[in-house]
Amino acid sequence: MLLADFGTSYCKFRELSESAGHPYLIATKDLPKNLRVDLATGHNGKRFSDRYVNELTALARGGEELIAAPDYVLLDCGSRDIKYVSYRHGKLADMGWNSECGASMGFTIELLEKYYNLDYDTLAVPDRTFSITCGVLGMSHIFDAVTSGISEAEAVARFVKGIALNAYRFSGSPQTLYLSGGLCDNPLFVSSFPCNIIPLGRYVLIKGLEKTARELLSIAL
Amino acid sequence: MKQENPFAQLRPDSRVGIVGIPPLAVIGRLNSLGARIHDLDEPQVNTDMEVTAPFLPRVYCAILRTAVLNALHLELDMIVIDVGPGKCDCALHVSTVLQDVLRIPVIRTRNEDDVPFGHPLCETRMSLLEKLQRITAGVQSAAPYQPEKFPPCKPTAAFWGVPPRDFSLLTHFPDTTHIYGWTRCMENKTPADGELEEIFNADVPTIFFAQSFCAKTALAKFLAAKHPRGLFLDVDVTCSSSTQAKIQAFLELSGVDHASR
Repeated sequence: MLLADFGTSYCKFRELSESAGHPYLIATKDLPKNLRVDLATGHNGKRFSDRYVNELTALARGGEELIAAPDYVLLDCGSRDIKYVSYRHGKLADMGWNSECGASMGFTIELLEKYYNLDYDTLAVPDRTFSITCGVLGMSHIFDAVTSGISEAEAVARFVKGIALNAYRFSGSPQTLYLSGGLCDNPLFVSSFPCNIIPLGRYVLIKGLEKTARELLSIAL
Repeated sequence: MKQENPFAQLRPDSRVGIVGIPPLAVIGRLNSLGARIHDLDEPQVNTDMEVTAPFLPRVYCAILRTAVLNALHLELDMIVIDVGPGKCDCALHVSTVLQDVLRIPVIRTRNEDDVPFGHPLCETRMSLLEKLQRITAGVQSAAPYQPEKFPPCKPTAAFWGVPPRDFSLLTHFPDTTHIYGWTRCMENKTPADGELEEIFNADVPTIFFAQSFCAKTALAKFLAAKHPRGLFLDVDVTCSSSTQAKIQAFLELSGVDHASR
């Protein structure tokens, strides 16, 4: 049984079978056109499967699998949007999905690294930040800063920190934040949050699909 | 009302648009005259909302933008717009715009009716979409209800708020969803009943809905925070896929039974 999380920039897969291996990643632009999977999530998911779980449900179920604490906030930062679930006493307390004002933040961060030939592993968290609610609109801050003499690396770092702060506030400004998505691998982004961050990686939604497969489809795993 | 008898000019089959919930006496009068009532709060013309941009800001209540869009395109003989405590200040200002733009009488009313009609539809087992359709259609009639036709059911979820501009968001709820908020006031024929509007059921997962840019967003957010399993939701003109997913996920993760949907 093939599970997949079809994201904007990357798609995550996991095969559930006796010889199942680790989950793996394929760039969305490289997906085979005739691909079919057994259970899908992600905003492209309905195109590739007859069984679809919406992204917030997959995120929440992934959190239930991976987080032992009864009270927590789990934030997923994707290429295109940001979303979170908040649990209190082991039950859903709040949720949010920002696909408009959080537009393209993750995608823009990756784009800027390539465009300015930067390495996020080596950039320090800046003292200052830009006020950013949208990746696309936020880029104008970078251009203005560079024009005023600030280095490209510093301007991009302020941009990344602004995105982290926006995501933090969006998720309710918790003391500890569990982080999901590819940006877990970006040390500048992770270090820019003003709270304790516990990165869970890219495959949280896949983990949620595993739970759905077990519970709803009675798959013996 | 400024005019002595604004309804004297109406004939049977006169087309009267209503915005909000005019007082029962006005609805009864329109019914007795045989007027054809058009609820301007609901989408009735297939025309781009952008047409209203010269008259209203784009960042404005989608219900009232819809009312203006309808008023501009339907050939009406009169508009009755409620601007009392059961509606909002936005409607008052829209009435000023309509009076300036249109060549038909635009009658302002203040509905402070306080005789409860009951709210059987709000608590009966029926698709939420159909319940809302029946409740909104009920505005056009002054006839008493037949509650025995709609017995109450045990709720598994609740919808609090106003009838949304986009009814598609209602399709995700189970048939055992109870209705609260202004929609309940609407069925009860007491749209200005603030106490009734603030009631919710803390025992079932509840979505607290308001139109974006509406003053009721504050009350919806406030009550959602009070509710142990409440989710605040605001939607502008149409319900996006992420908003639809939010509703689905909230109900599913709150343990609302699939079978009852």
